[in-house]
Amino acid sequence: MDIRKILSEATSTLGVSGQEACVAEYFAGQFRPYVDEVTVDSMFNVIAHKKGQGPKIMLCAHLDEIALMVNRIEDDGSVRFSSVGGVDPRILPGSRVWVHGRNGKLFGTIGAMPPHLMSAEDRANNYKMDKLHIDLGLPADKVRQQVRVGDLVTFNTPFTELANGQVAAKSLDDRACVAIMLRAAERLQRMSCEADVYFVCSAQEEVGGRGAQTAAFAVAPDLAVVLDVDFALTPGCGPDVANPLDAMVVTHGPYVQPKVAKRLVDCAKAHHVKLSQNVAGRYTGTDADEIGVSRAGVPTVVFSLPEKYMHTSVETISLDTLEEGARLLAHFISELDAGWEDELWI
Amino acid sequence: MDLKTLTEINAPSGHEQPIRRALLEELKAKGHQPYIDRMGNVIVVKEGVGPAPRKRVMVAAHMDEVGLIVTGHAEGGFLKVTQAGGIDPRVLISKRVLVGDDNIPGVIGAVAIHLQSAADRARVMGYRDINVDIGAADKAEAERKAPLGTYISFDTPYVEFGEGYACGKAFDDRVGCWTILRLLEEELPCDLIAAFVSEEEVGCRGASGAAFAQEPDIGIVLEGTTCNDLGDVPEAVQVCKTGEGVAVSFMDNSSIVNRELFRKTLNVAEQAGIAHQVKGSVSGGNDAGSIQRARQGIPTIVLSVPCRYIHSPSSVIKLSDADAQFELTKALMAAL
Repeated sequence: MDIRKILSEATSTLGVSGQEACVAEYFAGQFRPYVDEVTVDSMFNVIAHKKGQGPKIMLCAHLDEIALMVNRIEDDGSVRFSSVGGVDPRILPGSRVWVHGRNGKLFGTIGAMPPHLMSAEDRANNYKMDKLHIDLGLPADKVRQQVRVGDLVTFNTPFTELANGQVAAKSLDDRACVAIMLRAAERLQRMSCEADVYFVCSAQEEVGGRGAQTAAFAVAPDLAVVLDVDFALTPGCGPDVANPLDAMVVTHGPYVQPKVAKRLVDCAKAHHVKLSQNVAGRYTGTDADEIGVSRAGVPTVVFSLPEKYMHTSVETISLDTLEEGARLLAHFISELDAGWEDELWI
Repeated sequence: MDLKTLTEINAPSGHEQPIRRALLEELKAKGHQPYIDRMGNVIVVKEGVGPAPRKRVMVAAHMDEVGLIVTGHAEGGFLKVTQAGGIDPRVLISKRVLVGDDNIPGVIGAVAIHLQSAADRARVMGYRDINVDIGAADKAEAERKAPLGTYISFDTPYVEFGEGYACGKAFDDRVGCWTILRLLEEELPCDLIAAFVSEEEVGCRGASGAAFAQEPDIGIVLEGTTCNDLGDVPEAVQVCKTGEGVAVSFMDNSSIVNRELFRKTLNVAEQAGIAHQVKGSVSGGNDAGSIQRARQGIPTIVLSVPCRYIHSPSSVIKLSDADAQFELTKALMAAL
């Protein structure tokens, strides 16, 4: 498995919240060699099932991405837009995008004012999203032939390799964690595994854990591990809210099951996987919030990959951390036995 | 050499070596005898085919581009930077860059939107807040890979899109360099002093030395200029429009164009049917100021390609406007 190739392909595949068909098809194909059965449900969740007789575990990482959506075409041909999910307007001026029109994708760029013409007031304020436009290099009539209100706009940012095994791309939130699941699935082929394992790539996480909610109902797992990105240390983002880039993170708090979290921490110790731990005082802001209360309740933990510059088009992770995450996840699944539930609540 | 190749060369002001080398190689391959002067300008003199005495016309375009320069290193391995040439820091967030002569990939990120307060969202990130991340493990690695003074360029491939448009970096002023290369292919009646000048973006520093040394009769500055013709922009401050031809300046912040030359240029354009427009706003400055006031003064005009989102990582021109710049310069030189 060429993890760089997978990340490069996955992050450049269209899959905006609510319209994940393309990326779902991509990941379904990637899981197929490592599991017994892969289905894509009506929400565009990918459910990859590796059959086993032991406890039923659901791993979950979301495949949707934040993006923009066309909301108006001006008479000068410029295209106005709004956001799908939490796009930071500060990243937009000077960014290249793809506008997904009826005949395929169109190259566009988001304009920025020439510095020569700016007033002091212009310089002192960030651009508002509704004042920005996409330039398609086309007159309005040609734009209207190909683009409609509601069409999706994604960032056109190539996968970039930095030093020390760090990589930058859009949508590594959360496709890097899907890659962790893939890598774990590959590892499990060479390991003993009693568990009945479901790898779920969930849809619509960026708009509120909606895909995970129905996937968890369908799978009805005994326990779940949610994989998502978490903030990595960068300037302006210190240890009070962020974690070192070089270690996976296990979360503690009321929305995670403490004994399962401890089991994950102990497993990391046993296999010498470096781990950070953090606390979510209330909701975790991940699919775990929905999965934990699915049906009659699912003991759930959150296992995170630190990421720099979340929700920009240059989200940055460490491949070494990703690999260690996959190694730990595979061991955790492999070591899950019938006794996992003993003393869960006492 | 095509426009794609020219714009993808990384050479911010003060670090023109890569573009200088590429131009020298290209000019020599075409049988010219270029020389480099003490400001780092690349000059070629091509004699005209008209009868002596011939007018000596300097056609100048700047080869430098706006970029960033490393000013320090932060804990955690981040590069601190400032601008080399005017870049609004608001266009830097979430962009990819190439660092130094080895083109080390880097990114410029920002604190995630989830962690921003209302005040954070309103506050403009200035150069003090900007960090270039090359993935360095620590400060020492950052210092080793990108020492103080290392130049940084936008990592923006050239793309043609829409109806005859191109998107890229450094159209200001590689488009002018491209036009000069095309002019050098022509047989012109007057002598062509082709000047690829340095350091325009940091104060029009190269052009003055070139004009002093060559002492031309006329100066023609070829530029990529501000164009603000899309979106919420009142007509009066759009400056010029893409697709409406080469923009002829009557005045900017660096020079007032010689009136006789201005009228002549418009007449030539009209008679030859070359798409043109008068640049509609007095803003910015360029090498015309340096050339016009070299020695005892040189009549100088500026012919520009309108350039949307100028000085950003992703600027846009219409290629027909570059053709019009070439055609008008050629026709004007024949009429001088």
